[in-house]
Amino acid sequence: MDAKIKETILNPILKGNPITVLVLGICSALAVTVELKGAIVMALSVTIVTGLSCLVLSLLRKTIPMRVRIIVQLVVVAMLVILVDQILKAYSYPIEKQLSVYIGLIITNCIVMGRIEAFALGNKPWPSFLDGIFNGLGYGLILVIVAFFRELFGSGTLLGFRIIPESFYAAGYMDNGLVILPPMALILLGCIIWVHRSFQKDLQEK
Amino acid sequence: MNTNNNLYTVVYSTIIVVVVAAILAWAAMALKPKQDANIKAETISQMLDAAKIQAKGEAASNDAVLDKYAETIQAAFTVNAAGEKVKDLSTDRASLELADGLKAQNTNLKKGSDVELPVYIFGKDGKKVTVVPVYGAGLWGPVWGYVAFDEDLKTILGAYFDHESETPGLGAKIKDDPEFRAQFVGKKADFSAEPVFSVLKNAAQDNQVDAITGATMTSKGLGAAIGTWLAAYKPYFTANAPKEKCCDRPDCQCAEGVPCNHEHDHEEMKEEE
Repeated sequence: MDAKIKETILNPILKGNPITVLVLGICSALAVTVELKGAIVMALSVTIVTGLSCLVLSLLRKTIPMRVRIIVQLVVVAMLVILVDQILKAYSYPIEKQLSVYIGLIITNCIVMGRIEAFALGNKPWPSFLDGIFNGLGYGLILVIVAFFRELFGSGTLLGFRIIPESFYAAGYMDNGLVILPPMALILLGCIIWVHRSFQKDLQEK
Repeated sequence: MNTNNNLYTVVYSTIIVVVVAAILAWAAMALKPKQDANIKAETISQMLDAAKIQAKGEAASNDAVLDKYAETIQAAFTVNAAGEKVKDLSTDRASLELADGLKAQNTNLKKGSDVELPVYIFGKDGKKVTVVPVYGAGLWGPVWGYVAFDEDLKTILGAYFDHESETPGLGAKIKDDPEFRAQFVGKKADFSAEPVFSVLKNAAQDNQVDAITGATMTSKGLGAAIGTWLAAYKPYFTANAPKEKCCDRPDCQCAEGVPCNHEHDHEEMKEEE
């Protein structure tokens, strides 16, 4: 594989992770990580929307007038988000019902706009598409990690299945109410960033 | 080409917007029938779940849900505030009809104007199960659901609730937590009380269930929705409830020799006394 493509694929997952390094998409990371299922669905939708919008805008990049480029990007992203929502509603209604709360959040997700501005407008369609997809996956990875801990300690379940046995509750164990609330997502994100930086020495500030 | 001159910018923006609008309009139109069918099947599956005829998620497809509905439904109609029938809803498999617009009816209820409240009667194990909807405001958006009543039109056989945007893990439990819904089974709506039914902390009576910890506003909203809607059905329910048999009452005061399995109205009995 060509080194540049490899770089495009690996960079967003680790070295340039949209959440822990670029600090984009924090608002939705707080909102959708109470339960693992929502986080996974959100991660997939963001991946699809980011990938497709990077592809479309990369194809259009030479024709877009610079002064209205942000609006053009917004229109394309909004269209894709609505299309994803409508198609899910027609073909996968139960998932759409799960997602409908978050779907609006994709439009405002800084990762989509951020990657279009930073990458898609200056690169060919194929690398742009990959960049979009893998940035979505990098974002999804963090979302799933945060949601894993929040659902496990906040509700005692994973994907709706009970993990912490009833006997623990009988013995006096209680779900942590703070984990359900958004501040805990920020604290968890802080911990993830800390762990990430202690491994990735070049990210540490002098 | 110079992409920065004004004319180009205006023409480009116009074309983009028109193209996007056309794509979205086409998608919305092409997908509408399928989406409507999904919504209808979803509504029906919620009713079937409330009536304990078919658990939600058990049916493989929309068609299976509609088949089950057509098979078990006995009557579907709407009633007005006085409990009188307004119009029948088709229960034919080919043209199943549901009363839509719970939101509009809820507004009418609040304003006190004319209402058309749907009543669905299912047959299950030779018994009549009456299912009615409830609708109200949760914390972030509307909450609604279906409550199924036994033949006495007081005892609740089951309930199913749904919501638009309650907090996952907290308010969303009205839908996701089977234990919350299981509480309703066997409870009785008390049409002589105010409210008829409520969701609160430390439920003690037959017409109360426990609220959800950490979701006070959702619980209150759902309780109010159930209370308001069941109160609106009061005329229909009291008029259609089977009259109590004299022998079933602890204070049976029938004179000797009178066959005691005749039916009495609760109110009549009081007057007699």
